[in-house]
Amino acid sequence: MKSWSRRIASPTHAALAALAALALQGAPAAAQGLAPGDYKVGFITENTGALASAGQSYWNGAQLAAEEVKATKYLGGASIVLEAKESGSDAARAIQNTNQFVADPSVLAVSCCILSPVAGSVKPIVNEAKTPLVIFGATAAGLPQPPYVYSMTILPGPKDTATAVKVVDAIKPKTAAYILAADNDAFKGRMNATREVLEGKGVATAGVVNVLTKDTDFTAAATQAMGLKPDVILVYATQGAAAGAITALHDRGYAKTIVGNDVLSPAPIFKKMGDTVVGVPFPVSFSDAIVETPEAKAFVAAYQKKFNAPPDIYSAQGYQVVWFIAQGMKSLSGKPTREALGAALAKVGTIEHQVYGGEVMKGGQAETTGTLVVSWSPEGKIVPWVAPK
Amino acid sequence: MQLFLEQLINGCALGSLYALFGLGFGIVFATLGILNAAHGSYASWAAIAALAAVEQLKLPFIPALLIGVLAGGLLAVVVDQVAFQPLRRRGTGMLGALITSIAFWIILDSLAGTATGQQSLSFPRGSYPGAMFHLGEIPLPAMQVITIGVMLGVTAGLHLLIRRSRFGAAMRAVGWNQTAASLGGVNPRYVVIVTAFIAGATSGLAGVLGGITTHNVSFLLGEGLLLKGFAAVVVGGYDDVRGTAVAGVGLGVLEVMSAQYLSSGLRDGITYALLLGFLLLRPRGLFGSLGFSRA
Amino acid sequence: MQPLVEFWRAYQSTVAFAIVNAFFALSTYSVLSAGILSFATVTYAAMGGFVGARLVLLTGLDPVFLLPAAMLAGAALAYLVALIFLRLDSHWMALASLALILITRVVVINVPSVTGGVNGLSLPVSIPLGVLVLLLLVAIVVYHRLSVSWYGIATRAVREDPAVASSLGIAPRRIQTIAFAISGAIGGIGGMLLALALQFLSPDTYFVNIAFTMIAGVVLGGSYHWVGAIIGAAVFTALPVLAQAVIPDFQEVANGVALLLIMIFLPRGLVDPRAIRLRRAAREGQGEALAAAVPAVAAARRAGGDAP
Repeated sequence: MKSWSRRIASPTHAALAALAALALQGAPAAAQGLAPGDYKVGFITENTGALASAGQSYWNGAQLAAEEVKATKYLGGASIVLEAKESGSDAARAIQNTNQFVADPSVLAVSCCILSPVAGSVKPIVNEAKTPLVIFGATAAGLPQPPYVYSMTILPGPKDTATAVKVVDAIKPKTAAYILAADNDAFKGRMNATREVLEGKGVATAGVVNVLTKDTDFTAAATQAMGLKPDVILVYATQGAAAGAITALHDRGYAKTIVGNDVLSPAPIFKKMGDTVVGVPFPVSFSDAIVETPEAKAFVAAYQKKFNAPPDIYSAQGYQVVWFIAQGMKSLSGKPTREALGAALAKVGTIEHQVYGGEVMKGGQAETTGTLVVSWSPEGKIVPWVAPK
Repeated sequence: MQLFLEQLINGCALGSLYALFGLGFGIVFATLGILNAAHGSYASWAAIAALAAVEQLKLPFIPALLIGVLAGGLLAVVVDQVAFQPLRRRGTGMLGALITSIAFWIILDSLAGTATGQQSLSFPRGSYPGAMFHLGEIPLPAMQVITIGVMLGVTAGLHLLIRRSRFGAAMRAVGWNQTAASLGGVNPRYVVIVTAFIAGATSGLAGVLGGITTHNVSFLLGEGLLLKGFAAVVVGGYDDVRGTAVAGVGLGVLEVMSAQYLSSGLRDGITYALLLGFLLLRPRGLFGSLGFSRA
Repeated sequence: MQPLVEFWRAYQSTVAFAIVNAFFALSTYSVLSAGILSFATVTYAAMGGFVGARLVLLTGLDPVFLLPAAMLAGAALAYLVALIFLRLDSHWMALASLALILITRVVVINVPSVTGGVNGLSLPVSIPLGVLVLLLLVAIVVYHRLSVSWYGIATRAVREDPAVASSLGIAPRRIQTIAFAISGAIGGIGGMLLALALQFLSPDTYFVNIAFTMIAGVVLGGSYHWVGAIIGAAVFTALPVLAQAVIPDFQEVANGVALLLIMIFLPRGLVDPRAIRLRRAAREGQGEALAAAVPAVAAARRAGGDAP
């Protein structure tokens, strides 16, 4: 705080000081408690490898958040500095990176993982080292374990079922076929949950067509699915497979409704798929096209300016990781320790700065309320989904 | 019945991609004696080059395809001269060549990842023939017809080249013994370079066509083709292009049919079990000749 | 002192992975020293890893006691593979072992009761680094004793020329089968150690990526002496970590380039017994030693030039 008293010499600086004081009022006694300085958070990036496009979004969102925490003086004179180590989505490298971070006493917390098995491998290390881990992307339920393991992933499962129900209520199909990425357990669980609900509503399952996440050719799978003559097809697969399957279905002339999932929301998907993805409903927890709150609008503008691309759900999750850690740090005083941060994070209930219109932490897992069912318009904008006549 | 025919055609189209890729892979194996792990990267890079031609230079389908093919061929020549030629002089043998090809595989794939921004890109609609024909009730996309046609043409051309032309005789001579071939008046270096170019070009062809039909231009494209093309070479017989073509198409059909009528969990398992079975029981493949000829 | 402790804490997992990779490299070396190029170590590792992990989960015993089970499982599988594959020409053997790895993954996915299927298997048990080092030392002693024994000489003979070896009374098939069994045993142990290091197994754990890494490690280190396998594995494990620290943007390409440079400039690897012998001969006296070494060099070049 010494620097402030020296700077209050000119009127401009006085005005700045007043503004800063106003900002600080939003975070009174706590910020004065936290010792100023840079606090390191270890970030295990996945900017290369098969999941790199999502990985880069997470990393970008986190970087933006760290900048904002510093610029708005949310933590007073303290700021969060991100240190990146690349894992390429490989478990062995992620483990080695985690060990390196944990061994560095200046690292307060670690963030990782798109793949649930990799997150599972990293958990024992951070638990033993009593270092908080905030997961940015893994979608398996049950990963969080306060006080040291948290997840900012908005779990897609419940949103899938809500979307399917909304679509089914609108178009009233008799039979449904499912396209499933058979080698992805998370999607299998999501499909089964939705299937149960739909069967309960009287929509018979015509069949399940299995594809693999690493497949590149979906003509056969599309033909198989169409051969089941369903009234609606629901796709449960990762981004590459989902995009491939939906494109193949439309290429072969499937004209009825296809239900997608959250992997269709990022903007590059529209660029890649073009009009084959128009009109396909999918749930979204965050979209740069449907922003209501001022925080969300500011986030989209800042992200677009810094990275020359619109943010997606992955950017939002990465962004929230850093804001979550900052919120935990805010309640600490003096020089924070890893244990203290873990205890503070466990106490966080409602997230103060978030872009979803409402985010809470339940048992270490981030959750948002409400499901928005949207689709891509022919102009490349995300709009609320409307049932075909 | 209609479904069966539809899937049969799908299988043939898919298999044609495997066959095209396997042709190049097999030629390198038979003539140069190299198990080239980097062969898949030629396909990925050819697709990237063709996509760049379409997006940056706004070229239509056929010129872009030719650019992709050229890129694949040139890349193969560069890799051959940088990686394999020094080893040939030293007479290091298969292991050394394999490891070097792995090194290039790593380099080329990660560069391809950087080139595509780690994304899977697609050819824009309209940059390739998108017409849909109909065989009765069965939809027949133009790209499938083109893929199968190209495969048949290339197979016939290569077969004639290898079996009926002087250059083909030179290729086979170099494959048997480089020194003896040069004693017979063949320039082995020239033959090796042209062979590498042809192999890379067919791989590139498979890459561009595959990238268009599967809407997936990325480093994963080549990796997927590599394993299946390798299976096609083994099952079909590494030294007969007709065998590779038949095996490639057969594998494609088998894959599609087992996914449709059996279970897609076992889909790849059946392909690999077939591969292993042939290696154990009939290593020369369906149409190969006895005796292992390599450089 | 403190920086040393921090350095150790940061890189102890790298050391652990280096030791695990050393086991895989030794397993590959075992059959390579008998003249066979085989990637099947991956399959033995999968066998040892999943069997060992399952036993640990079922019995709750300390994993060290269950290592013999992993070893035996690997050795048994290797013996079976030897019976079927040894009929093949060496070049087909390499391809067949590659196909075996591909099939292994399909099997792993389709037997969830043992392997956990696509979800994988979580193993919340670890093994202290000291135990890993001890196991490596035991393996070193075993390999050293083997290489200076009759078996070691026999394998070198079989590698150089199986026909000549059999005319000398050595049964190549028998030696190669023993080599396979040893490879399976070491590979099985390595697989279980990998499971304990990662604490999580998935179908992709034992797949093509480690196959190529281990063979590259053996060739890099030197495929003519077992020490080479260990050194190569260590270098190949440390290389990505080093690249990440020095040039994070191009770390993947760096691995490939390093491998390429080694292959071009040091094709016989870092540890090359022939080069050592030649240098020693040159040092011990220019004239006579060289004159004696020339025929040896000529013979070695003829033999070493086209052996795998």
